[in-house]
Amino acid sequence: MADVLKDVPVKSVQVEALVVMKIVRHCAATFPTTATGSIVGMDQEGVLEITNTFPFPTVDVTTTDNHATNDASNLAAAAPRSKANSLYQNEMIRHLKEVNVDANNVGWYTSATMGNFINLNFIENQYHYQKENDKAVALVHDASRSSQGALSLRAFRLSPNFVAAYKEGKFTTESLTKSKLTYEDILVEYPVKVHNTHLLTSYLYQLAPPPEESEVPLPSSLADIEREPLRIPPYPSVDSLELSIDPVLEKTCDLLLDSIESHYTDLNNHQYYQRQLAREQTKITAWQAKRKAENAARAAAKQSLLPEDEYLTLFKLPQEPSRLEGMLNARQVEQYSRQIDGFTANITAKMFAVRGNLVPE
Amino acid sequence: MAVDTEQFAHISRPLAPNVLAFGASNAPLTVNVQPTAIFSILDHAVRREQPTRVIGALVGVRSEDGTEVEVRSTFAIPHTENEDQVEVDVEYQQKMLALTLRATSSSSTASHREQLLGWYTTSHELNSFSALIQNFFASPETGTFPHPAVHLTINTEPGAPVTTKTYISSPVAGAPESCLFVSVPHRLLRNQDTAALEAIAHAGSTEENAAPLVTDIDALARALENVTGLLDRVSNYTSEVLDEERDGNTALGQHLMNALSLAPKVDPEAVEADFNNHIQDVLMVSYLANTIRTQIDLAQRLATSNIIGFGDKDGEKKDGEDGEKRGGDRRDGGGRGGKRGGRGGGRGGNQNREPREPREPTE
Repeated sequence: MADVLKDVPVKSVQVEALVVMKIVRHCAATFPTTATGSIVGMDQEGVLEITNTFPFPTVDVTTTDNHATNDASNLAAAAPRSKANSLYQNEMIRHLKEVNVDANNVGWYTSATMGNFINLNFIENQYHYQKENDKAVALVHDASRSSQGALSLRAFRLSPNFVAAYKEGKFTTESLTKSKLTYEDILVEYPVKVHNTHLLTSYLYQLAPPPEESEVPLPSSLADIEREPLRIPPYPSVDSLELSIDPVLEKTCDLLLDSIESHYTDLNNHQYYQRQLAREQTKITAWQAKRKAENAARAAAKQSLLPEDEYLTLFKLPQEPSRLEGMLNARQVEQYSRQIDGFTANITAKMFAVRGNLVPE
Repeated sequence: MAVDTEQFAHISRPLAPNVLAFGASNAPLTVNVQPTAIFSILDHAVRREQPTRVIGALVGVRSEDGTEVEVRSTFAIPHTENEDQVEVDVEYQQKMLALTLRATSSSSTASHREQLLGWYTTSHELNSFSALIQNFFASPETGTFPHPAVHLTINTEPGAPVTTKTYISSPVAGAPESCLFVSVPHRLLRNQDTAALEAIAHAGSTEENAAPLVTDIDALARALENVTGLLDRVSNYTSEVLDEERDGNTALGQHLMNALSLAPKVDPEAVEADFNNHIQDVLMVSYLANTIRTQIDLAQRLATSNIIGFGDKDGEKKDGEDGEKRGGDRRDGGGRGGKRGGRGGGRGGNQNREPREPREPTE
């Protein structure tokens, strides 16, 4: 995805391995409920280094039925901007400071399923953080996509244009036309790098050394091979060779249908508004014509004229519904389609490989 | 790295009589460690101020019978240590524990509630201070009693391998500064989060210890290259054996036979049919997704665009009317355009999708 770099100091995000693991763990533990947490770190010459993280507490909910899980998800999604959690965050950061952890909040993280994170909650949370600290980023970990292949961890910020518009809370056609704000520039994505400490690197090498290049001692019996468990190094991973097609397609279709649905709702709102507006305007025109005729008659009769702008107080034009929902939805659909493009590229390669292997030429 | 294999001599720890009364068992204990916890400890070790060891608490879950614990996370505890005394910030430990538990406890059920499990330190040395701290973590008021407190040591000396060991302890003859450490086996859980571990390992394999995240397709290419490399190595070996350049190894031969016999016998036609079905599905969904995106994009653009022809005509027709009105009309025109395009998008998407729907069950 193209990274739109505006003239902001932060150019890329560097995430410590510890943070990656903690976020992935937390998101996997609460899956499919949304998980959110806070990230700390510091900004160094345009690189935002994220060095630690901690999850937000969620309120106790009895998870007995489906409805409650939904609630839990909503609560967790709203957690980053709740008052109790900013207290929690401050307390936690104060404690972390005592053990030499970078004590600056630099944003928050959230989990997502197949990229379905672009919604009002996300925008509100990020706005809440960006308002306080201009460099705050949102890390999005996509648990479902990570299980399909490479790790999906992305960093986003709201674009300055969008923040300005959001501040005013005006998303009417007129304001959008003026500011030239489209759905494509709501979010700015930053490239993410993973960073390890040297200590960690040496630990990883011990866990699973890469296969030896030179001659290895040959086993003396089959039992020898079976007894030694094979330690497959985590990189390069062979898991990405897994061929699973249907679940991804199904999920994507579901999500796309949802988006179409909300697009439709949005459309209906606007149509309703248009009809109302048209009706009001016909009334106004009728009123004006009548008043004009009346005035003409009065002028002929040398009477004083009636004011012609009285309609402003008599008729009220309906409020235009906000365009924000539609914009977010469009951005979301764009996200899905890019995602499915990537998936298609990947899966077709795998499928041709499988066919080439199983079907004789 | 202690036990990935199941060979470990369990030594049961001696129990004091007053502990027995609380139902503590001396059954074997296995410690499972999440990689996250180790990463946390290493991070803490890197950030330490003093050249000596650092300590912290282990938090995680305990199985119902208490024979297995899983260390999920850790937090650092400030402490100072010199020749003749050790100081641990107990207040900090209590507060931090409360904070950590608040974040994790509510989402899970009671049996999987996280709790304090023990403590870690970054040196393998077990001294009388270790015993003091261990007794603090195992005590009824502040620790894990009646369950044993787990002590994890990890070596972070430069130049030496990073190794981990785990212990539990028994009190010795009422002396608070001594206890008997009993080694217990532990295992690193690494079957999950493979994607994250891969990204981290990739970062570790580069010069500057940092690497950008790769896209799925790059990861696939890398994995394929790796597998081809390994296969080449094996086939080189076998051809060398066949050419009698080197002696064959029966064990390897058997292993290879076993592996090859796992390859499924398939009917080429069935594979072909499956392949065609799936590839069509994939391409169809991809195509539809892009169509929907284009439609919605169009809708968005029309909704906010100024259709100039419309606006001007309206403006001229109702000349002399105030600006607000004209703006409204123009908005109307633009909106109408958007409506049309958008509705097409919505319906188009639905229509196109419908033929796919009945096919889904046959997949």
